[in-house]
Amino acid sequence: MKTLFQTKLGALLIAALLVGGSAAAANAQGSRLQLSTLDHLATKASQSVDVNIDEKLMRIASTALSNEDADEREIKKLVAGIKGIYVRSFEFETGGQYTNADLETIRTQLRGPGWTRLLNVMSKKEGNLEVYLLMNGEQIGGLAVLGTQDRELIVVNIVGPVDLEKLAKLEGQFGVPDLGIEPAKSKKNDDK
Amino acid sequence: MNEDYLWDKSGEPDPQIQQLEEILGTLRYQQKPLKLPTGLSMHRRRKYLPLIAIAATVAIAVLSAGVWLQFHNREAEPTILAVAIASPPPATPIKSPPLSVSKKPLKRQNPALVRHNTQEALAAKQQLMFALRLASEKLNSAYRRTQTPTQIKNQHKAG
Repeated sequence: MKTLFQTKLGALLIAALLVGGSAAAANAQGSRLQLSTLDHLATKASQSVDVNIDEKLMRIASTALSNEDADEREIKKLVAGIKGIYVRSFEFETGGQYTNADLETIRTQLRGPGWTRLLNVMSKKEGNLEVYLLMNGEQIGGLAVLGTQDRELIVVNIVGPVDLEKLAKLEGQFGVPDLGIEPAKSKKNDDK
Repeated sequence: MNEDYLWDKSGEPDPQIQQLEEILGTLRYQQKPLKLPTGLSMHRRRKYLPLIAIAATVAIAVLSAGVWLQFHNREAEPTILAVAIASPPPATPIKSPPLSVSKKPLKRQNPALVRHNTQEALAAKQQLMFALRLASEKLNSAYRRTQTPTQIKNQHKAG
């Protein structure tokens, strides 16, 4: 009886490890979007940006971030848990170069389990902006931003936990002009 | 007394020996089929041996692969993974402060390789900065556009 129990316990432990491992891997993979469906737009675009920073490259990049500089130290903290950042950006000479079907390839993935749309700003003048979050319980497991204008298409995908407030504060650093925009939380505090 | 009886059972037997034979004869070997006692179980511990051996082999193989990969990665020429910018973005040039790279001496690496690694790290950092900046910009833009009507509304209320 004892040996039978030990056998079952061992099998259960191995099964639990396998399930746990595969679940963690699936979760990490789950927040990564397949952006290769947009690659064909690069031939039509006047400017295209393709950034693929995987976990290994994130580690390499982190080594170049200084601990002595306050800004870089903050960025190092911000990217500490991030598993990857992927960007596709296209700028076109004329409108109508990308189709709804192109956008649907991304939106379909963002309708998957775990993803929630945080913001959807629609404007004929400034274009549309959609911000999606992948939630792992109460923690953010990934971020996706889909920006569309008549002559522009941008997709940003951050894989892994990300601090939105810290990320928003990055604007204005490293030569990026600060637009004087603060997150809703701090504005509310100021109002009080 | 005829001793031949003791050797090959020929001749006349001694009565005492014959008596002894009769007494001890009851303990003579008798051929019977083997009967195992019921309820006796096989020693189950033996079943674990192959499993333990397989698990140990797999563990050793995984460890060896890990050590080999670690060593291989250290020795091999590092490569930047699929980072490509078709044309530079029209954003403000990145003005990052002078970078400091870990001052710890690298083991088993020649200066050329260290230089290469530093360049790779700098390139990766630039890509990271660009991606983060873009994400931050878009996030702020979204915040701004969602807040503007509310702020205007509040200003009207205040006025």
